[in-house]
Amino acid sequence: MKVLKFGAVWCPGCIIMKPRWEKIEEELTWLETEYFDYDQDKDKVEAYNVGKDIPVFIFLDKNGNEFDRMKGEIDKKDLIKFLRKNKDK
Amino acid sequence: MKKKLLILLVVTFALTLVVPTAFAEQYKTVYLTLFYGDGCPHCHKEILFLEKLEKELPNVNVKTFEIYNHPDNAKLMQEVGKKLNQRISGVPFLVIGDETLVGYLNDETTGEKIKQIIKKHSNGGCYDIVGQIMGLEVNGESTECEDKKEIENIELPIFGEINIKNWSLPILTILIAAVDGFNPCAMWVLLFLISLLIGIEDKKKMWTLGSAFIVTSALVYFLFLSAWLNLFLFLGFISIIRIIVGLVAIGSGGYHIKEWWFNRNATCRVTNGERRQKIMNSLRRVTEQRVFWLALLGIIGVAFAVNLIELVCSAGLPAIYTQILSLSDLSPVVYYLYLFLYILIFMLDDLAIFFIAMTTLQATGISTKYTHWANFIGGIIILVLGILLIFKPGWIMFG
Repeated sequence: MKVLKFGAVWCPGCIIMKPRWEKIEEELTWLETEYFDYDQDKDKVEAYNVGKDIPVFIFLDKNGNEFDRMKGEIDKKDLIKFLRKNKDK
Repeated sequence: MKKKLLILLVVTFALTLVVPTAFAEQYKTVYLTLFYGDGCPHCHKEILFLEKLEKELPNVNVKTFEIYNHPDNAKLMQEVGKKLNQRISGVPFLVIGDETLVGYLNDETTGEKIKQIIKKHSNGGCYDIVGQIMGLEVNGESTECEDKKEIENIELPIFGEINIKNWSLPILTILIAAVDGFNPCAMWVLLFLISLLIGIEDKKKMWTLGSAFIVTSALVYFLFLSAWLNLFLFLGFISIIRIIVGLVAIGSGGYHIKEWWFNRNATCRVTNGERRQKIMNSLRRVTEQRVFWLALLGIIGVAFAVNLIELVCSAGLPAIYTQILSLSDLSPVVYYLYLFLYILIFMLDDLAIFFIAMTTLQATGISTKYTHWANFIGGIIILVLGILLIFKPGWIMFG
């Protein structure tokens, strides 16, 4: 499983989520993530149809297909629970 | 049939005698003294209102004194002012018990306030200070306005006794400014600037550019608020303007409540990509400028322009606040002190974010979850204020 994180330096919710994801990545060492800036990585923003509300987190399975997405400020516990549940996807 | 009609007439006549007596017994006499000037349009409006009021409320006793053509009356007015420690700035000057009102906007604002004071004194009673100065005998009425203390003061555990009237406007100022300040739409520019400043090695430049941006933003907002306030002080007595601002407030309150309801994930909404890119490019150019003074002038210019553009983000809050402020009869210095308080609260989150980021060299943000709830609480407050502005403006006249 891989997580694509979409955010911007000027978005308070994205700034809040940044250290939260860092802690999650420390805890779940197997987790693969990639960050894309909303203003700089426009091709990815369009390709994944991110929309007008950020931050957005897109969850890809082993084959690179999206199986879920979340947006906004999400609780660390809820994220870990979700990631553990879908670890083998 | 005739007998029945006679009984009905007797009962009706008896009621006409009994009802006012019962009313008079229930409510104590409230003495109103109006000092006015011949030819003064506001005085004329107030006289018409008081005449109507005297007919409606049997416990109200109105006396009027013309001062332009009657020096004795003008002297009496000065004596009343002295006795009540009031500097009288003009007419119409109304005395109700030991309370005074200078000026008269209209029946919906000042008129409503007069009704409130009368209602308050109808229960507790209040002495006729003008009658006392004139040597008139006032029998059977209390000599002190005792009820005033009960109504206006509340006891709080930590703060002790608090005067509600004195604290209503500051609290309202803080609430509206906080809702306005939590607006993420206006904060994005500062957050982007911080992300650029953190990368600058020259700490002096980093602090100066950031501070200049915040001070200029505060100044633009202060000028904007001052312009609204002066407009309302100049035109505020026109009812239609108050009603329009009331409608804007209802719309703004509705918008905040809608944001709270639909944006439960507390996301940041991306708006106007082209304009955002232009602002971001300008900020990049300024922070990359090697000549310090040019960078400083550049950031002031960008802050000025950006804040003018982003004023639309405030969803009418400055207009709503300054309209309410203009309803209160305050001195010019106090008006501007309130604007200063508004700016201080409005900038508080920006200042906190800036100082934390500059000290820790890490960008920080206020959780959009707080913004989410600020939308709900603020939305309700603004909605209520809008309704009051239209239907009961007297309730939000604090000064």
